[in-house]
Amino acid sequence: MFTFTLITGRTLEQGRNLEIGKFSKGYLNSVAVCEMAKEDMEKLGIKDGSNVKVKTAYGEVVVKAVTSASTTPGIIFIPMGAWANMVVNPNSQGSGMPTLKGIPATVEPTSEQVSALEDLISMFHKKPIKIDFSQISPPSSTSTASGEYNFKDVVCCFCGCVCDDLEVVVKDSTIKSVKNACAIGMAKLLNYNNERVYKPMIRKNGKLVEVSLEEAIEAAANILVNAKYPILYGWSSTSNEAMRLGVRLAELVGGVVDNTSVICHGPTVLGTQQVGVVTATLGQIRNRADLIIFWGCNPLHAHPRHTVRYSAMAKGWFIKGRKERKIIIVDVRPSPTSRIADLFIQVKPGRDYELITALRMAIKDHTIEAEEVAGVPRDKILQMADMLRSAKFGVLFFGMGLTMTTGKGRNIEEAIKLVQDLNEWTKFVILPMRGHFNVAGTNAVMAWLTGFPYAIDLSLGYPRHNPGLTSSTDILIRGDADAALIIASDPASHFPQQAIENLTRIPVIVIDPRWSLTSTIADVIIPTAFVGIEVDGVVYRMDGVPLKAKSIVKPPPGILSDEEVLKMNIKKVEEKKFGG
Amino acid sequence: MEWIIKNGFVYDPLNNVKGEKMDIAIKNGKIVSLSQVNEREAKVVDASGMVVMAGGVDIHSHIAGPKVNAGRIMRPEDHYKVYMRIMGNVRRSGSGRTTPSTNIIGYKYARMGWTTVIEPATPPLKTRHTHEELDDIPIIDKACFPLLDSNWFILNYLEKGEIEKCAAFIAWILKAIKGYAIKLVDPGSAEAWGWGKGVGLHCDEPIPGYNLTPLDIVKGLCKVNQILNLPHPIHVHCNRLGFPGNYTCTLETMDSVSGLAKNGLPSIHITHVQFTGYTGESWASVGSGGEEIAKYVNNNKHVTLDLGQVVFGEATTMTADAPFEFTLYHLSPGKWSNADVEVETSAGIVPYKYKRKNYVNTVQWTIGLEIALLVKDPWRVFMTTDHPNAGPFTKYPTVIGWLVSRKAREKTMETVNKRGLRKSALPTIDREYDLYEITILTRASPAKILGLEKEKGHLGVGADADVAIYNINPEKIDLSKDYKELVKAFKRAAYTFKNGELVVKDGEIVKHTYGKTYYVNCRIPSDLEKLVVDDVKAKFKEWYSVSLNNYVIGDEEIRSLKPLEVESSLK
Repeated sequence: MFTFTLITGRTLEQGRNLEIGKFSKGYLNSVAVCEMAKEDMEKLGIKDGSNVKVKTAYGEVVVKAVTSASTTPGIIFIPMGAWANMVVNPNSQGSGMPTLKGIPATVEPTSEQVSALEDLISMFHKKPIKIDFSQISPPSSTSTASGEYNFKDVVCCFCGCVCDDLEVVVKDSTIKSVKNACAIGMAKLLNYNNERVYKPMIRKNGKLVEVSLEEAIEAAANILVNAKYPILYGWSSTSNEAMRLGVRLAELVGGVVDNTSVICHGPTVLGTQQVGVVTATLGQIRNRADLIIFWGCNPLHAHPRHTVRYSAMAKGWFIKGRKERKIIIVDVRPSPTSRIADLFIQVKPGRDYELITALRMAIKDHTIEAEEVAGVPRDKILQMADMLRSAKFGVLFFGMGLTMTTGKGRNIEEAIKLVQDLNEWTKFVILPMRGHFNVAGTNAVMAWLTGFPYAIDLSLGYPRHNPGLTSSTDILIRGDADAALIIASDPASHFPQQAIENLTRIPVIVIDPRWSLTSTIADVIIPTAFVGIEVDGVVYRMDGVPLKAKSIVKPPPGILSDEEVLKMNIKKVEEKKFGG
Repeated sequence: MEWIIKNGFVYDPLNNVKGEKMDIAIKNGKIVSLSQVNEREAKVVDASGMVVMAGGVDIHSHIAGPKVNAGRIMRPEDHYKVYMRIMGNVRRSGSGRTTPSTNIIGYKYARMGWTTVIEPATPPLKTRHTHEELDDIPIIDKACFPLLDSNWFILNYLEKGEIEKCAAFIAWILKAIKGYAIKLVDPGSAEAWGWGKGVGLHCDEPIPGYNLTPLDIVKGLCKVNQILNLPHPIHVHCNRLGFPGNYTCTLETMDSVSGLAKNGLPSIHITHVQFTGYTGESWASVGSGGEEIAKYVNNNKHVTLDLGQVVFGEATTMTADAPFEFTLYHLSPGKWSNADVEVETSAGIVPYKYKRKNYVNTVQWTIGLEIALLVKDPWRVFMTTDHPNAGPFTKYPTVIGWLVSRKAREKTMETVNKRGLRKSALPTIDREYDLYEITILTRASPAKILGLEKEKGHLGVGADADVAIYNINPEKIDLSKDYKELVKAFKRAAYTFKNGELVVKDGEIVKHTYGKTYYVNCRIPSDLEKLVVDDVKAKFKEWYSVSLNNYVIGDEEIRSLKPLEVESSLK
């Protein structure tokens, strides 16, 4: 008997603490939580700040119950991360996207403790390594560049906003101050050396042993060459240059190459594959849009400068500011962003598809017979439809609220059709709020090199794409992969636990600058440098605008870029396959 | 590596060679005289009984950039059945019929003996993406044309009559984003489309917000082109593309710059003229305007054009003519994509299928061929299918078959819509191209109109060693009767050389290489450049959502960059 609907998603604190360190107390305190409405906590006798056990049909987890202004009775919110993934629904219904929102759940008080991050996955096949961060220190270098440098127009590499107006002061090879970044971008630039990996390692007898780069590359190449169905997953936090090499590597080893859009905007691709997509760059929107909808997204937390730089509050050429715009927010709860709305529409979880359909009908003046659709009174729907038709230039920004919930790709298909319909009346576009700073780029690279933007199976020697079958989430949940290369991502933190369980059964290579939950179950770890801080790299903003992120400090000695490491891997694999 | 191609029938119009038996020598990636090569050590290709020409040059084919990629992403169905497998360490994999992935593009062009291809429409703000894709296309040399007709800087300069500043701006932007020529698409319509307007914009209709008509933009940019001495004329996709009766717009556009030709060089290139060559008042009465257009071109030497020839079957329409794509979405309901680019331009994509029995598609099919066969000067007509708008580039051999053989045309005409045929002069035309003229159309003249005739499109000493050898014997084949053999030979070249390296043998890829990217570096007076850059700096922050420093593409970002140095006439 389930009494709540569980949703998961980003928060500002989750993002900030992620950059400060995934193994930190701050991260645990901001992510191992469950936001509940005050009324619901009172009903169940749960004290604010006490531990609760959240149970679903798929698992259970202990987290801390908290309340906030962004809650609504009947809905509980756990920030995205390994704790949430113990209880989410792994079923993707053939879309590749597990059901990460709208899961029936129960909540009860508990005296059990909240597990540390790595303890969450300690019951699986391979024991996660416990990292003693006090033992890790950066290698001393023989020379440090000295002097103070002021970098302007720095490209921020955290979220899909890819703000390129940051100012960074570097003194004696250390970032000293950052201007114009949001709290999360700032957290990344000032904390990127936290929980850093400095030496390649190989897992031997349950321990991670430091090895030379050559040995690590050899081990990685052997794993990939010997595998029948390896997955090469992640990519979204590295450069296009690295992704282009990644596709070549996947093709050589006959693996599946996939990126984080599978658990993010993969469904947006599915919708686009059905009907196309009508969009514009962010500057076009900033300059002209007088009506902005945020549907199922929370930019104030997940894309903090978006409203100021590109949308609601931004100063455009034709539209001068907030006063000349109307903002509509659609969400299942009064999210932090909803307070900037002129019109807030609270939709029932999992019922967005019906609401969009009703809007399409209202736009065309069809009669809506029901007095309420998806929990929204008909009058409000008609009011919203009128606002949409009367706009001079409207834009629909959307996020996981549409991609992760019931309907998945069909929700997006319907949302795009709504926008296409609106073009009969006025100018209207739609734009997905992309999460990682280069997820758009890695989708683009995969598409031009293989023909498909994600979930590409190269095991037969040519690209095949069938999300649900060739998506890395489903492959891991089914236990079909026999090796994994994880780069620039942390699936152990963000895939459902059923996928992690199978990940611990196979050899895993991790290429990442920092320790992640996936590193704790890795067999080979190769540390690399940060794109946009230590190495150059081309990244695509959420609207596809390509920017070149540049290096502003040197990487630690011995640390190469993802590009260079992948080149070495490719060379090694080619040697093994075709001879020296 | 040194090569001698022995005993082939060489067709080299730029050097007046019309099928003579000659040896061609290759050394260090260039064509050299035979005496430069060590005949005992050089590798030999026995080209007896085969035709030898320079590698093909395609001046208009949508092969790279954000809208091409958007086409790939929205059309997974285009990739399921057409693919190439990885082959050892020689060939990479890919997929796609009308929106092929990058490796397939390079390989399939090379297999047909084509070695230089131009991406004709790139939005400056996203051109870094275009260059990344171009860099991942193997073998061929390439360049890209930035879309400039709806650019706010340019519209403002033109409105104020500041032609010199406009010219300086264009010299700056070509260098900044590594572009090659000035591209106009339904001039001004992209700015109108920023407000959802611009569908069917007439040549003489003012653009919303500006005291400018599309023809003002055409004339202004033509003047700029002359001032800058750019190697290629303005490359124009005329207004009202896709509308019945639009051939008049094409004539007006061509005529608007008739007085601007300089030094006997063409002042305007009209692209995919088929799409803007319709008579009639509606789709029910649409007919071919081919005769009228060909007549104008025959009487006016300042115009060149490429065909945009329709090939029946699957296509994907993709163009910066976003308002037109909105129209097509209504005419042919299905998928529709659109992507506006701030301050600059837009793009639309709609999958499409050309059907033989369809009246309109039949009329469309006749137009390109009609014009090619009625225009007397083969140096001013280029063969394209506006890939993938009118058909995929892989169908070029089929188009060549139609040009050389009346029988080939008649065979196709038996299968098409009879009423549509009656709206065109094509059934009455007997003319057949010969191999020499085909060489002009597909190599010599495109190289010349691009200003690349020193190193491309010919086999004289000093040319890049881009060579195509086809397995047809001009002494034994009657092209008119045996066009099928010609088509077969062009589908899979016997040999293709790129920069002196053998990349195709017996129609198969034998080497994976990368070519170079051309762009134009036009020198202007430094004080004028500074003035314009100051203008750009002042407005950039207010108009764009990126910093000017991050807009400019660095030389080191492109694999192998080759500037074409040009001196402007600016003082």
